[in-house]
Amino acid sequence: MSLDDDLAAWAATVRLPEADAAAIFQRIVASAAGPAAPAERPVAPAAAPSLDPSWWRGYNAGFAARMVASTAPVRLAA
Amino acid sequence: MDRDAEFRRLYEAHRAAVHAYFVGRTGDRQLAADLMQEVFLRAWQHLDRLTGLPEDGQRGWLFTVARNLSVDSARHQRTADGAQRALEHEPSGGQASVAAPASTAVLAAERATVVAAAIAKLPEQQRVTLAMAAAGELNSAEIGVALGVPAGTVRYRLSLARRTLAEALGDYDDPEEEQ
Repeated sequence: MSLDDDLAAWAATVRLPEADAAAIFQRIVASAAGPAAPAERPVAPAAAPSLDPSWWRGYNAGFAARMVASTAPVRLAA
Repeated sequence: MDRDAEFRRLYEAHRAAVHAYFVGRTGDRQLAADLMQEVFLRAWQHLDRLTGLPEDGQRGWLFTVARNLSVDSARHQRTADGAQRALEHEPSGGQASVAAPASTAVLAAERATVVAAAIAKLPEQQRVTLAMAAAGELNSAEIGVALGVPAGTVRYRLSLARRTLAEALGDYDDPEEEQ
């Protein structure tokens, strides 16, 4: 008996039987995790509730006032 | 090709090699099956990414996952402890120390026990490489891709492993052969 024969005989004892391999395949395909792939796509964030227009008018007016004030020349100390 | 068919092709192409890899690492056929299932479960979850890869890339991906799984500390500890015993007992068809009279079947079983014990005693790298070649039926280049080493290194490990096995079998054969 050659070494290759010995190795082939050993390999036959450790190889996974076809029935076991088929059962594993079925378990994986039936798992809930599989078809989850499409769910991994990014979901668009829900739109935030909009603010009242009057709030925006006040905010814009305040913002403009701050911008104008910030561009005024700095008065140097005498 | 639909998702199931694509996965079946991937599974059939690589399952024997992945299982053989884990047999070499753990020495336990059932534990190797459990780990193989985990590898392919991840493949199933990432199938869209895998299908875009070439054959070697798919093998590389699967074995990267396999290597990561097999270094899991708790699992590896448990399996390393049992590896030698499991490999020695795997083909437990007969008693190792039967003297005579010996039928062909008993002799074959005894010889298988000697082979399994010698494989169990190999250094891990040689044992994994040998298992992938013998049980996984991969060639040196394919094993190299899977393990991330050059094909020449694979051939060298196989050569060392075969020499060790030949010596073990020589020791076993010699006392009986000339009588």
